[in-house]
Amino acid sequence: MVKLFRFRKTTPRQERLHELSLFVNLTPAELEIVDGLLHERHYLEGEVIFDEGEEGQAIYIIASGEVLISLPDHGNGRHATQQGGASPAPSHPLRRQGDTGRVAQLGPGTFFGELALLDNSPRSAQARAASPCELIIFFRDDFVSLLETHARISSKISRQLARHLGTRMRAMALSMSAHQHLV
Amino acid sequence: MSAAANGMATPHPAHHGSGPVVWAAIIAVTCLLLLVFQKVLWLVVPVLLALILYYFLYPAVRSLIYRGMSRDAAASLVTLAFLVLVGIVGIALMPRLTSKLTHWQDTVDRYVQGGTQLLDASLRGLERHSPPLARAKLADTVAARLAQSTGSIADHLEPVALGIMAWTPSLLLAPFLAFFFLRDGRRFKRFLGSAVPNAFFEKTLFLLHEIDRTARAYFQGLINLTILDTVTLAAGLWLLGIPGPLALGLICAVLAWVPYVGSILGGLLVVLVAATDFPSDPSMAYWAIGLFGLVRLLDDFVYMPMTIGKSLELHPLITVLMIFAGGAVAGVPGLMLVLPVLGVVMVIGETIGLIITDPRLMARHRHAKALRRVQASADL
Repeated sequence: MVKLFRFRKTTPRQERLHELSLFVNLTPAELEIVDGLLHERHYLEGEVIFDEGEEGQAIYIIASGEVLISLPDHGNGRHATQQGGASPAPSHPLRRQGDTGRVAQLGPGTFFGELALLDNSPRSAQARAASPCELIIFFRDDFVSLLETHARISSKISRQLARHLGTRMRAMALSMSAHQHLV
Repeated sequence: MSAAANGMATPHPAHHGSGPVVWAAIIAVTCLLLLVFQKVLWLVVPVLLALILYYFLYPAVRSLIYRGMSRDAAASLVTLAFLVLVGIVGIALMPRLTSKLTHWQDTVDRYVQGGTQLLDASLRGLERHSPPLARAKLADTVAARLAQSTGSIADHLEPVALGIMAWTPSLLLAPFLAFFFLRDGRRFKRFLGSAVPNAFFEKTLFLLHEIDRTARAYFQGLINLTILDTVTLAAGLWLLGIPGPLALGLICAVLAWVPYVGSILGGLLVVLVAATDFPSDPSMAYWAIGLFGLVRLLDDFVYMPMTIGKSLELHPLITVLMIFAGGAVAGVPGLMLVLPVLGVVMVIGETIGLIITDPRLMARHRHAKALRRVQASADL
């Protein structure tokens, strides 16, 4: 009976998950539970992951590759695609709508779209694969049910999320004050 | 990306409810599915029971997983424990059941006779107080008609009993299916999700979650409703002094799973038992009718909104119309299946409607397909 409650050795995937900042505090048992809730997707370079204004349902964690976060130029590219175009503006095949308002380029181990875990506000920027990438997706409703059923795990994830948001806010405040200083 | 302030976001497109075309499709698909399900009832009923069992056992599995057990072991242990419990209860009840079953025809006849006597006594009482009814000889007419039909009750019951026996093996599928739902449910969800293109992935995940949420709320609501109905009826029957209150309450609560028809059958059963076990006291049957009416009112206005009503978020008019449509399309199974089927079809229909009418999502999907085509033919 005791053996039943002893976990098997963690899988390579769980070891990789443990390296991600969001799950760094989780025990192997907790990681196994979270692992059961995660999804994996592969994106090609240039593929849109989500659009600005879209209702956010999930947080994305980059397992490999890079992702470009940008504020799209509403003047041309998006309009062209919204009309039903199968690919980005044909006259400028290498120019993508995301290039106009680049916010950040994120690499492996980082995550984005985290506000979707907290509320269902619309996405505030566009995410697009900057190179072929593998993303791990954590769906909001799975996180919400985790809050109800596994408060300990979700509090650990929430704390990491809060830390991440705090770091980002401090960085924003610093950049704003630096900007004001320069002006 | 969250780095950008929310204020920068473009206005979120208004979430319109589904239009008449989508709703017409939802109703048509629901009726079509009920027709199909009626043909494969031997599979649908065990799956439905397995789903009820799955949602009943799921909290125990989840609790074991949290205590450190693997999902496979937790599902196996909980299913095994449930089967052992059912086995113990079955063995404990077997002597009583077999003794009842050997005389089941006599028992049924006795209860039918008790009911007939109660009806006769009630009609004669009415005739005493109402001269027009006495002149019409209502009691004699009804007694003559019942005498003609009761002779065939045993003939009707035999095929029903044989049918139940023929169904037993397929019902044994339920715990087997429930075990696999418990063990592989998440894998199945992931498997379904992996087949969806990237552009629709978030919406589809939401859809799968909504189906799970709807089904969970419905079946857990049904379990809670059954417990509430059983306890209330059993308490009332116990207060009245009717024998076997818990068993009667449970049978009536399970029969109530079939809208309308089930409630009528349950009420009839309670009245027959009261009339037969207290032949010299017809007031007991009237009390039983009163109690049953009270429980139904409680069920419709308090328990149902507290449990199942909340889960499906269906308009009451649609609920009633669909129950009638389900009954017309697929009979008693249709009555029982229509609400859960409609709940699931509604979520799928609304989500598909949202996806195919969103030009941006469709454009992103075409873009991703174009990228994959280019990648596949890059070195050709």
